[in-house]
Amino acid sequence: MVMSRIQKIPVVEEKKGNPLARVFDDLVRFCRSRSLFILHYCTGCGAIELPPAMTSRFDMERLGIQPMVSPRQADILLITGYVSIKTLKRVILTYEQMGSPKYVVGICSCTVNGGMYWQSYATAKKLDEYMPVDLYIAGCMPRPEAVISGLQKLMDRIKSGEADSWQDYYQNYDYYLGNQQKLFGEDWQTPTDIITEAKHYELMGEGTLGEHTRLLEQHQNPLEALEMRLGHNIKEPIE
Amino acid sequence: MPALSKASFLEHSHSSADPKLKNKRNDMRPENYEAQRQPPSNEYELNFGPNHPGIEGNYALKVKLHGDIVLEAKADGGYLHRGFEKLMEQRLWIQNIALVPRICVPDPSPMELCYSMAVEELCGLKVPQRAQWLRVMQLELSRIAAHLFTFGGHAATTGMYSTMYWGVADRDLLLDLFEEFTGGRVYSIYNIPGGVRRELPDGFLQRLTETLDYIESRLPDYDNLFFKNQVFVKRAKGTGVMSREQALEWGVTGPNLRATGLAFDVRRDDPYLVYDQLEFDIPVEESGDAWARTLVRRKELMESIRILRQVVEILPDIHGPIRAPIPNPLAWNVPAGETYTRVESSKGELCYYVVSNGGPKPYRVHVRGPSSMHAVQVLEKMSVGSRIEDIAQTMFSLDACPPEVDR
Ligand code: SF4
Repeated sequence: MVMSRIQKIPVVEEKKGNPLARVFDDLVRFCRSRSLFILHYCTGCGAIELPPAMTSRFDMERLGIQPMVSPRQADILLITGYVSIKTLKRVILTYEQMGSPKYVVGICSCTVNGGMYWQSYATAKKLDEYMPVDLYIAGCMPRPEAVISGLQKLMDRIKSGEADSWQDYYQNYDYYLGNQQKLFGEDWQTPTDIITEAKHYELMGEGTLGEHTRLLEQHQNPLEALEMRLGHNIKEPIE
Repeated sequence: MPALSKASFLEHSHSSADPKLKNKRNDMRPENYEAQRQPPSNEYELNFGPNHPGIEGNYALKVKLHGDIVLEAKADGGYLHRGFEKLMEQRLWIQNIALVPRICVPDPSPMELCYSMAVEELCGLKVPQRAQWLRVMQLELSRIAAHLFTFGGHAATTGMYSTMYWGVADRDLLLDLFEEFTGGRVYSIYNIPGGVRRELPDGFLQRLTETLDYIESRLPDYDNLFFKNQVFVKRAKGTGVMSREQALEWGVTGPNLRATGLAFDVRRDDPYLVYDQLEFDIPVEESGDAWARTLVRRKELMESIRILRQVVEILPDIHGPIRAPIPNPLAWNVPAGETYTRVESSKGELCYYVVSNGGPKPYRVHVRGPSSMHAVQVLEKMSVGSRIEDIAQTMFSLDACPPEVDR
């Protein structure tokens, strides 16, 4: 089954009326790009080039990039290589726990198209079917210089506001969830309530809800449960 | 409609599908979580990994604790499983050379060598002398690099990050050498069945000597910073102890076995390549704890440097081809048969069991990696009774390599 993905809606609209707000946005984005914390989850063999890139020889810290141990405080999720299906579940859980704005960088050819393991029964082939990816660094494995230059490119994209794939996850949640369900089974769900978060960020797009999220609701009624907790009445239907 | 009470909501949703599954799914949600009455206890369970700064690679342990004392540990691997043994059955004999180094990332060279040796044995290929010396050089360089990396990781688990920075930076010098003579920084893919792929570049042995001199001159600094550091000595002594009998029973090999006082090394006891023409010692320690294991590696690093110096001396006098002639690799039918080869990697004894049915692809390949024993059964048993902060140290002192466990 080929699933179509709804085209990204540009959300960072120009605040034409208020130049001050524009300057402020630029400033925020600049600050964001200069202080990035990497959640370094060694999913595959590309992780072996990360220690050289982080330590004295290539020294990522001079760019303001540092490793961080907890997903809640991290900005970048580095996927360092092939993701087996067991790992992919953890990667998705981790990704959903991270606070927005968050960026995903896929290091290694294996995240792009399966790489060496294109015919393996145990690995997920294309990472961007399961979560939005901001940047790929191809190579088997990419050298530390390539990793650093890739991260610099990411910094530029953050500065200019192009790195907004995290919004894509909310806007096209149905597409990503559908692919995840294809891999993990129809009863797949995570403890994070993406639909409520999408409402919170005002990022409900055309692709947020669909047949796959309906499946999710059929299983566990996330909105109902959440709104109950908040003490609201549920009146309008979700579609 | 008035807001439903929690209980009625649960009931309502239960009625719509299979109640058993329903229950399970609803329990995952924090809002559906109900505290359960448990008998009073000080025990609790903790997931250690896979996304944890103290764990080596993508690997997990489920530990049961009382306070901070580990009562039980269960290894949870499979995060790095790629199905190597199946993949190898689907590729040509020569293509597998590119696949095998990925089995153990920090020390990939013994993997290619062991596989090449197996194919050579099946085909009855004779490897030229010069290729054998080049292979020894590659193996020992890889061993030094892997040990430096392990020291760094081990030091980081005891809080000494400067050793990690040094170890990784010095390992990078060796990776530069690898890049120069094999073309790859980490995965060299230098061996092929029958020999090696390229000649040395001009002046390489000179640069190798310089790097060795440099690393040797750094060792006193490492001693002061790490090996004699009381922080390390006090924490590592008495951590993760195993006796010689236990080690033999659990299938422990390599530096971990030698740290219990048994001088067993495949390089000396079942020599392959030209190791029987080289002079080197097998360092041993008696106490069998994390400290002894690290010290064995520290001494082994010296021995590797000694071997490399001999290689540098002898290699210029050995001339000849670097590769035995092999048939067209794309239509290469290896004669039917089976073989078992073993080499000493930096982690322990590495073996390949290869079966051929006379076809263009292997019929079956089995990899016996040392870490499958170290990271699963040994780590599970050694963690019991230790404190939670020592688990990471125990794992690094065993030098377990998760990709090799999962394959
Ligand atoms: S691209 Fe190569 S180095 Fe990276 S994860 Fe895949 S096999 Fe490993």
